Amino acid sequence: MADLLTKPEGDAPEGEAIIATPLWRIRLRLFRRSFARNWKIFAQNKMGLAGLAIIVLFGLMAIAHPIFMATIWDGHEEGGKNVYDPRAGADAVIVEKTVVPDGEITDPTTQIGQTEAALQGTGLVIPEVGTVMTAPLANPAPPVISGVPHPHWLGTDPFGGDILSQLLFGARAAFALGFTAAISSVLIATAVGTVAAYYGGVIDTLLMRLVDLMILIPALPLLIVISGFWDLDLIKLGIVIGVTSGLGGTAIILKSQALSVKVRPFIDAARVAGGSDFRIVLQHITPNVLPLSFLYMMFGVTAAIFIEASLSFLGLLAIDQSWGIMINIAHTQGYTLQGLQVWWLMIPAGASVTLFSAGFFMVARAMDEVVNPRLRAR
Amino acid sequence: MWKFIAKRVGQMIVLFYIFLALLFVLLDLQPGDISQQFVGNPDIPPEAKQLMIDQLGLDEPKHIQLFNHLKNYSTFNMGASWSQYPRDVSDILFSALPRTIYLFLTATILAYILGFWTGKIVAWKRNTATEKAVMGTSIFLWTVFYPWFAILMLWFFAAYLDWFPVGKFVTLNFESRPDLVNSISDVLFRTSGSEAASGWTSSAAPGANDVFMLLFTSLIVGTIAFFGIRWIVKRQVKDPTTQARLFTGGTVLVFGGFVLYWITNEYGPWAFDIFWHSVIPVMTLTLVSYAGTTLLTRTSMIETLKEDYILTARAKGVPDVTIRDRHSARNAMLPVTTSLVLALATVIGGGIITEQIFSWPGIGQTYLAALSSEDIPLTMGALALIGILALIAHLVADILYAYLDPRIRVQG
Amino acid sequence: MTQVVEIESRGGRAGTTLLEVDHVVMNYTTKEGDVSAVEDVTFDLKNGESLGLVGESGCGKTSMALSLLRLLPDNGEIRQGRILLDGEDLVELSEEAMRQRRWRDVSMVFQGAMNSWNPVYTVGDQIREALRLHWPTTLTYTEETERIAALFEMVGLNSAMIERYPHEFSGGMRQRAVIAMALSCNPKLIIADEPTTALDVIVQDQILKELKEVQAELGMSIIYISHDIAVIAEVTDRIGVMYAGKLVELGDTLEVFHRPRHPYAYLLLGSTPSITGPRRKLSPLEGEPPNLLDPPKGCRFHPRCPFASDRCKSEEPPMTDIGGGHEVACFHWEEVPEIRELSK
Repeated sequence: MADLLTKPEGDAPEGEAIIATPLWRIRLRLFRRSFARNWKIFAQNKMGLAGLAIIVLFGLMAIAHPIFMATIWDGHEEGGKNVYDPRAGADAVIVEKTVVPDGEITDPTTQIGQTEAALQGTGLVIPEVGTVMTAPLANPAPPVISGVPHPHWLGTDPFGGDILSQLLFGARAAFALGFTAAISSVLIATAVGTVAAYYGGVIDTLLMRLVDLMILIPALPLLIVISGFWDLDLIKLGIVIGVTSGLGGTAIILKSQALSVKVRPFIDAARVAGGSDFRIVLQHITPNVLPLSFLYMMFGVTAAIFIEASLSFLGLLAIDQSWGIMINIAHTQGYTLQGLQVWWLMIPAGASVTLFSAGFFMVARAMDEVVNPRLRAR
Repeated sequence: MWKFIAKRVGQMIVLFYIFLALLFVLLDLQPGDISQQFVGNPDIPPEAKQLMIDQLGLDEPKHIQLFNHLKNYSTFNMGASWSQYPRDVSDILFSALPRTIYLFLTATILAYILGFWTGKIVAWKRNTATEKAVMGTSIFLWTVFYPWFAILMLWFFAAYLDWFPVGKFVTLNFESRPDLVNSISDVLFRTSGSEAASGWTSSAAPGANDVFMLLFTSLIVGTIAFFGIRWIVKRQVKDPTTQARLFTGGTVLVFGGFVLYWITNEYGPWAFDIFWHSVIPVMTLTLVSYAGTTLLTRTSMIETLKEDYILTARAKGVPDVTIRDRHSARNAMLPVTTSLVLALATVIGGGIITEQIFSWPGIGQTYLAALSSEDIPLTMGALALIGILALIAHLVADILYAYLDPRIRVQG
Repeated sequence: MTQVVEIESRGGRAGTTLLEVDHVVMNYTTKEGDVSAVEDVTFDLKNGESLGLVGESGCGKTSMALSLLRLLPDNGEIRQGRILLDGEDLVELSEEAMRQRRWRDVSMVFQGAMNSWNPVYTVGDQIREALRLHWPTTLTYTEETERIAALFEMVGLNSAMIERYPHEFSGGMRQRAVIAMALSCNPKLIIADEPTTALDVIVQDQILKELKEVQAELGMSIIYISHDIAVIAEVTDRIGVMYAGKLVELGDTLEVFHRPRHPYAYLLLGSTPSITGPRRKLSPLEGEPPNLLDPPKGCRFHPRCPFASDRCKSEEPPMTDIGGGHEVACFHWEEVPEIRELSK
């Protein structure tokens, strides 16, 4: 509107004045309108809304962690680390009890090393009934709300680490990993899909055979060996997961979508107007594939979290702290068969991985109905 | 159909070699060459490492190394294990293979049949309490963190309810009846000697593997007989009543024969013991892939129910149950079969975790153990074998699809 | 054996009434409200007669046909009226009794013949299914095959095709096979919903001739449903014109075709080019059919009608017999000109 008013005199024809509105503003307006329309469809799906609520909840958890650390969780002991530190924190009151029979005090920071040690032996982790293979190094403390120097609202792990702090920190890790993996996966899948669809021919064949191969190789075993040979941190792992899953089925789906865009008249128009191939792919084909890309990004988060947690659980990742590691610790320290007696070891972490994946999965399914009208209920 | 199968087999072989080449790249990308790997690990015998260097021809150019790698793997010459030197990698893997196939096949078949049945019924009864309950459960099972779920299953059934044994493969002691063990292995399997030496489980004495093989073989024979009878009857007998009678008769015959065989067999208790150990792992793996099949079948059924031929069938006065089973579900099966391929990743990944958690001595556990003991040949061999298994499973799914869809079956 | 192979009509004596549709009202319930898809439709059909129902798409022809077989989707409901087949009210029948009547008494040739075959079974087996469900006696497999072969020959298909799958048939062959299936249980009435829409003109013609011959031979009744009045005018005895869920005109084919009295029928014919009829100027039908969620008050055609008066906006015109069994629901039927005048 402002552009209209600043136009000099009235001799410019009306049409030109409209063109003077910046393109990005028109795009923004169109985007807002289509967003409002799609949101209406999405909001009708209760499952999708529930999923969104779950994601928001975990988002709050992730934000809460640094705030808690800076405010109420000040557990500095003399010369020691903060007992609430999700990575290395150990409550002395709990660690007191971590004396194993021969009198050696275990260092809680060697958790991961012990995990590997446990794996290395026979490959068996489960203790026999009645006997305990690895004597528990310490007793995990049940939730304590007050009355002790450092209350642990969700108890501690066998090494005296605060479960709630680990849990909230895990949410941050999960978001970081999930989004890294999902974004890199979608970038790759969109690039492969649009390029294969636009160029066709040899490029298409080569890319699609690569995709076939990636579909055929089960991802988890491959990632197990990759994380076994190299030390991956969260971001690197996210990228590796993204690349392997981006070259899979998503690329095929995005390619078929891109193919249907490619035959539309405006692509020909752009070509006749002298647009370079790169420009056409980037500016004309990609935007039309994006809604579908975004949908698969949501599914991608679920897959990535699952893989990260599985690898952490198997003790193969060199990352500081995650939900998978929490379960791994409880499991390898021999608390598996005690079940609900030590519920704070297993339930919060396991339920978090599950709910987090479920949240993204439910949002993705609801979005599927927005993108794919055939699935909508009457 | 045969042309189609031949084409797919050809593609699979090519893909397998590309996969092997990829394994070589993985091996090669590691920092330093293999001779420098894990020099600090005293458990790796130097002669084992030397054997691998010789086999690959490490002093030769890369493409020769790759060629040697492909050649060795084609002849199942995967070298000697580092952690179990001097056992051959192929020997270790092939003794673990049947146990993995047993877990994998049982879980997949059960999940497919049960999931398909549930999905079909749920799609038919949309917007009912049953549908909502089943959908909720399925989404939970599909998104549940699998290792966590497996641990909870283990705790619940083995520790809390104490119905099933915890982990491992067999508890009964074979040494108490050495006569049995010798006779059975003499008669059936000659490989038991090397099995015993390897000590693949700590609690099982020689012969456990033989009993397992017997159980496994009888299960496979039983399954083939069951489906074979159905297939022959369907082709040869056209009358529906006789068909139904022969189906029932065949089922009773096969099942009865199986039960009778194991009741009269003196190794029955051992076989039952192995079976009893497999119940929770199979159940856990089944439940998770079952959820996937259910969700898929439901979506597929809902789409099929909108097809014109369903309206034709209704106009023909076909009873509802027949429309659901014969017309809709039969077509809904096609996309579900294709998606078996996608579910495969879940089952294989889940299988590795299952074997690890339930101490089931299969390929997956071997793989993880090899990785943590820095046993490169065994790790690579196990990964290659997992790749082969995945390829074969894909091939089977493709063939099944071609068989189910006359549009491919008839025109090739 | 021969009695199995023989394809006959079970219809009553020609000229007696087979079907009576009596003030039928059918609604679809949707989130936005009730859609009145069939509104107060009344007509009857005699044994051996063929009736055509025409109208634009979305005017309720197919809904009418589905109501006759009670094949409506879950949200469709017959609110009022009776559908009497041989004096028995189909609306009142239990679901199971209705199921047994389908195909045995009333069979159907569907709009999308391409997709009306289940892709995973042979065509023969799908016809066999109908025989197993509805043939009065239990047939052996050989008897069934013989009957299907006889049906195939009747509609001009090679009986070797019985064992083939639908994808091996061409479009025309599939449609012939659909007719064979419709005939399989000697029905009293066949409903042919756009039987030739997806076919090319030559095949279209052949199929309609085939149907006409079969009908002449067997004497069952047929209801043709089409958006194209010219296509079915050749094969029907009477034509009913539907607009926005209502039957607006009903009469002898020649009468309706040459002297339509409802403005809608008049304009519909005017917008249809005719090869065989007199040359005439095409007058397009303007506007869109009304939204059936909220149909116009009074005559449903009045917003598009050149003859509409104030009365049309408030009062619904009843079906009136204007002589010779020709019924029209319009206040201004006398003002509608002869269609010949258009040819000038």
